[in-house]
Amino acid sequence: MADSKNKLRDFFIFREPKDYKEFVLTEDKQSEKRSCQQSEEKPKKNRGLIKKLIMPETDQSSVRSSDLECLEKTKNEDKKDSKKLKINKDIKVSLEYMKKVYSVPKNGDMVVREFEIVFRDKMVPAFLMYFDGLADRNLINESVLKPLMLLSNLEIKGDDNNVVDYVKNHLLHQGQITLTDDYEKVIFMINFGGCGIFIDGVNTAFAADVKGWEHRGVEKPSTELVIRGPQEGFGEILRVNTALVRKILKDDNLIVEDIIIGKRSQTPCSMLYIKDIANDSLVDEVRRRLEGVKIDHLFDSGELEQLIEDNTYFLSPQVMSTERPDRVARYLSDGKISIIINGSPFALIVPATLWDFLHSSEDEYIRFPYANLLRGVRILAIIITLFLPGLYIAITNYHHEMIPTDLLLAIEASREKVPFPSLIELLIMEVSFELIREAGIRIPGPIGPTLGIIGALILGQAAVSANIVSPILIIIVAVTGIGSFAIPNFSLAYSFRLQRFAYIALGAISGFLGISIGLFIQVIWMANSKSFGVPYLVPFAPPTSDVNGGQVFRRNIWKQETRPDDLNVKSKKKQPSISRRWKYNKDEN
Amino acid sequence: MNKKEAEMNIGNWEMAALVILILCTKIFLSFPRLMAESAGQAGWILSIYVSLITITVFWFMLRLYKKHYGKDLIDLGEHIGGAAGRIFVGLIIIGFTIYVNSVILREFSEDMKIISLSISPISFVSLFFLAAMIISAYVGLEALVRMNAIAVPIISLGYIIIMLGVGRYYDLSKIMPLFGLGFKQIFINGITRISIFSELLIVFMLTPNLKKFNNFKKSTYIGIVISSVFLTISSLVYLLVFAYPHATESFLPIYQLARLVDYGSFFQRGESVFLLIWAVAAMLYLSLGFNVLLQSFKKTFKLDHYKPLILPFAVIIFTLSLMPPNLMSVIELDTGYLRKWGFIISFGFAILLFVLAGLKKTKKKGEAH
Repeated sequence: MADSKNKLRDFFIFREPKDYKEFVLTEDKQSEKRSCQQSEEKPKKNRGLIKKLIMPETDQSSVRSSDLECLEKTKNEDKKDSKKLKINKDIKVSLEYMKKVYSVPKNGDMVVREFEIVFRDKMVPAFLMYFDGLADRNLINESVLKPLMLLSNLEIKGDDNNVVDYVKNHLLHQGQITLTDDYEKVIFMINFGGCGIFIDGVNTAFAADVKGWEHRGVEKPSTELVIRGPQEGFGEILRVNTALVRKILKDDNLIVEDIIIGKRSQTPCSMLYIKDIANDSLVDEVRRRLEGVKIDHLFDSGELEQLIEDNTYFLSPQVMSTERPDRVARYLSDGKISIIINGSPFALIVPATLWDFLHSSEDEYIRFPYANLLRGVRILAIIITLFLPGLYIAITNYHHEMIPTDLLLAIEASREKVPFPSLIELLIMEVSFELIREAGIRIPGPIGPTLGIIGALILGQAAVSANIVSPILIIIVAVTGIGSFAIPNFSLAYSFRLQRFAYIALGAISGFLGISIGLFIQVIWMANSKSFGVPYLVPFAPPTSDVNGGQVFRRNIWKQETRPDDLNVKSKKKQPSISRRWKYNKDEN
Repeated sequence: MNKKEAEMNIGNWEMAALVILILCTKIFLSFPRLMAESAGQAGWILSIYVSLITITVFWFMLRLYKKHYGKDLIDLGEHIGGAAGRIFVGLIIIGFTIYVNSVILREFSEDMKIISLSISPISFVSLFFLAAMIISAYVGLEALVRMNAIAVPIISLGYIIIMLGVGRYYDLSKIMPLFGLGFKQIFINGITRISIFSELLIVFMLTPNLKKFNNFKKSTYIGIVISSVFLTISSLVYLLVFAYPHATESFLPIYQLARLVDYGSFFQRGESVFLLIWAVAAMLYLSLGFNVLLQSFKKTFKLDHYKPLILPFAVIIFTLSLMPPNLMSVIELDTGYLRKWGFIISFGFAILLFVLAGLKKTKKKGEAH
């Protein structure tokens, strides 16, 4: 209640805004760096949409001292966190500490195995720890325990006087072994399916990478199916996903930069870009945003998307998500940046403009006239999804004259026995349709689609027979629904499904005038939005030099010579002006 | 001024589209009828004549203004007369934009009421346009200019469809006699009709956003020429379809034309579809005017922010727009005053400022010598 009051007050009473700087993607890196030094904002309770609307941005000079203090405080907290606890030489202390960290024996899946190593005829106590299920038990037995327990009895041939060197050089033949002197690193490795090995008398521990958890293999993508093109989709394992992209690109300039997000979850993420194509300031900005995410747990790329997007109130998505490695590879080759998260089969791609969401990876694999037909169909699908129900209401309530007489008579005849006004009739059907769609997704297995079809058929037929709705309305709602399914990006489809209710309301209030204001607000909002410094409506607003460069309709493949202008890439040229050289240089061939 | 405003950069096409919109939106109001009233069957000749005079006057203005490029009219006022000069110039521009915005708001609302919302009160219809103005002001001028660059080609396409759609009603005999009400009416009395280009004053408020003078010159000329063509075509087509005495009676000339459009027996009475285009054009026009008004006020009184001004000015414009008792009195305020004497401010006052600023510069140079 208090929050609503404050919002209402903020709409009428002006308050000095906080400092906020917008990221602008430029070609000049130095100037960019200056402009993207966004000050940290002190979190405050009542900062809502209305307040944001009424508050303009201020100059950088007006940074408040309280904000600076806040930033300093955060830095100090980070420093505190980074204080590492060193490993104790006494194995009993280490064992106690590790047991306390993992709440052993309360934690049933934590395995602690104590044993002894023979070193220069002395028995050295040791223990190892791993999570049952996360680590590969056979690998531990064969590559860790067996060598340490059995092979250590053999005569030492080398001149290693140190137990650490002896274990590392002669006993452990596991490929990925990390030596560390702090507990945090070992704990991190154990959490990711590794195995921690502690030996008495040394302040060094071993962390062996023996991951062996169950995971899905590389399968077909479930939401972005294509007829032509690769059929591989991302899985849940980060390294498998990055490898899938690298396998396609085979570019030595491809950088896979690792970043850990989540204070507790320590979720590994990778930022992928091609270093001699992607704009440096864009790379810096993406890194800055990723590093600036302060959250306890990060589970999926969907969460990260919401944490790094420019405007969280904007209805349309500003970050592209895909489960296709070939799509990621293509966008990277254009100069975009991808973010892959461990545990999520969806990679994020930034920046993303409105037109990117209308493309399918198949568009590039089929001949350009067919691709353009599909893109035209998708644009039509958007128009239908967004406007058809609103236009129906506007026409039937305000602009009857524009319906041809025969059609008008047909509509009126079908509506004759319907007791509701057309708005109520439409809302009943739209809500029913949304219910069927949601139920179809939630119901398990093969029942889902069946329910969808049966629900729609029976409900529609019964509603018409009962004179609750008119047959023409069933057609309107069904076509609108089909239109929303034809939008290739499900995030964008959600956005348009939501917005169509606004158009229905506006059409009901004042016909085409209402729809006009809806359209005006929607376009101006889009024109004002950006995705990582790139205007959302580019290449039209603002117009860029490659306005005909294939972002809306695809060009012939030999005409696609340059990368998108809006990304300000380092290497603009994608292919020479004559890419089908065989056609001209007969002698050379 | 906040950083976002300071960094606003208008491209060439965006500027040209802005000029086209502010000059051509009046086609949807009463422009073709005004031409018919002023010069009879020769309304289209008057349109060409007025366009040529405007281009000449604008060329002269640019020659005077070139030396001061980068400064808008309020900056020039400050340059000439310090703070008093700035406030004087600012108040004139504020007054002019408030007048234009309130009159056009009422006129568009009345037209919409006649076309499709005949039962609704005028205040209700006006609220939609007012909402567009308020929202656009919150979003900012940059987004508005960008949106305008997308909308202008679509609006132009709709306009061309109407012009071509009534092709079968063209009758050359309707524009005879060629010189309509006579030479004096066209070439002498018609001079004051350059006021139909009054909105050009706005472009001199946006010059700081276009970095190079040549780009500014090129884009505004392109805008004026395209607008002149559109204005002339609308007048010509209107007179080709409706004979002279009849042509002076229609409140909504283009709407009357659109009603005649039919492509076969199925696609008839499509004027409601064009209503979408008109409404968006009106919203853009009013929003541009409203944004310029806010920016002018902010600059005149050296305020840090313009957002606190949005609601008060919206209320002022809304209230003023409701003051005229009926449509006829609003049309009189538009065609009888704005489109007759508007040139005094848009051209006369601006030229005076450029001359004074030039004189001051010369004087300063002389003193330095």
